[in-house]
Amino acid sequence: MKRDITVVTSVLKANDAVARDNRARLDRAGILALNITSAPGSGKTALLEATLPALAPQRAAVVVGDLQTSRDAERVAGLAAAVVQINTEGGCHLAATQVAEALDALPLEGLDFLFIENVGNMVCPAGFDLGEHRRVAMLSVPEGADKVAKYPTLFQPADLILLNKVDLAALLGYDVDLVRADLARLNTRAPLLLLSARTGEGLTAWLDWLRSERTARRG
Amino acid sequence: MHELSIALALLDELNALAAAQGALRIERVELEAGARRGIVPEALALAFAEAARGGPAEGAQLALSVLPTRARCRHCGLEFAPAVDDYGCARCGLADVDILSGDEVLLRRVTCVLAEDAAPERAEEV
Repeated sequence: MKRDITVVTSVLKANDAVARDNRARLDRAGILALNITSAPGSGKTALLEATLPALAPQRAAVVVGDLQTSRDAERVAGLAAAVVQINTEGGCHLAATQVAEALDALPLEGLDFLFIENVGNMVCPAGFDLGEHRRVAMLSVPEGADKVAKYPTLFQPADLILLNKVDLAALLGYDVDLVRADLARLNTRAPLLLLSARTGEGLTAWLDWLRSERTARRG
Repeated sequence: MHELSIALALLDELNALAAAQGALRIERVELEAGARRGIVPEALALAFAEAARGGPAEGAQLALSVLPTRARCRHCGLEFAPAVDDYGCARCGLADVDILSGDEVLLRRVTCVLAEDAAPERAEEV
């Protein structure tokens, strides 16, 4: 005996429900949460190393996702108010439940920002809401200027786009106008900020954006 | 391989459904996924087959259909079907949209086997 069951259910509703809970929790604590996505090696951790000391006296915690090792967490350990490393052990993106567990482990009181450094991957993290308030998509000069067109699912929903390692742009003959042209077709909502986490060039605009987004969120 | 996450979430749904229905096994699953999910059918089938082992959905046939992307311009309200790399509004030229469809992953229909039929020739009857 067989039965056809017509169901209309969202397969990812469990992740989405946890993501909503995470966001509500962060809202209650007055924290602006950012989901930072990029390819491996674009400089997500270097960006945090430059950002965290510059945000003081505002306080930030970091959740770092990697397949293996706690190296990224160790890099930012002395700079953030608190750090949680998540090893996905093969998983190619963070999930909302992992961020929920990280929130359990973090002292949320007194925090202003939560930076969620997603697993370095330009495809898989895009489809999974973690409970963040803003999505930051990053690319870097050595990766080439065609990243936006090649990975539209990462850049289309982003609230901010960072182009890192601009100190290498002249050396590598980087075509920023190609990035701008691709974004003009894909996402005109998100500002594009050029910076170098290594030299500090352009960092002020990024810090200003963070502070203004947090103020806007809190009203 | 975000297909593995989707396969695992799908199996959570199917295992719960099989338990609720008292099904012996699941024979066929119809899934609809938005184009923006970028699901590679072969990758999903492989992940699903591996993850379903030992449970009621082991060996189930997985049918995937793709839902097109629909978007609405936040500035002028025009609804349109964006290309994968072009979300520009034909009316106002901006690329700033709300997504109406294209991100969903929906379980649509499940064929459960509730009891094995006594005689094989009756297997075609429902």
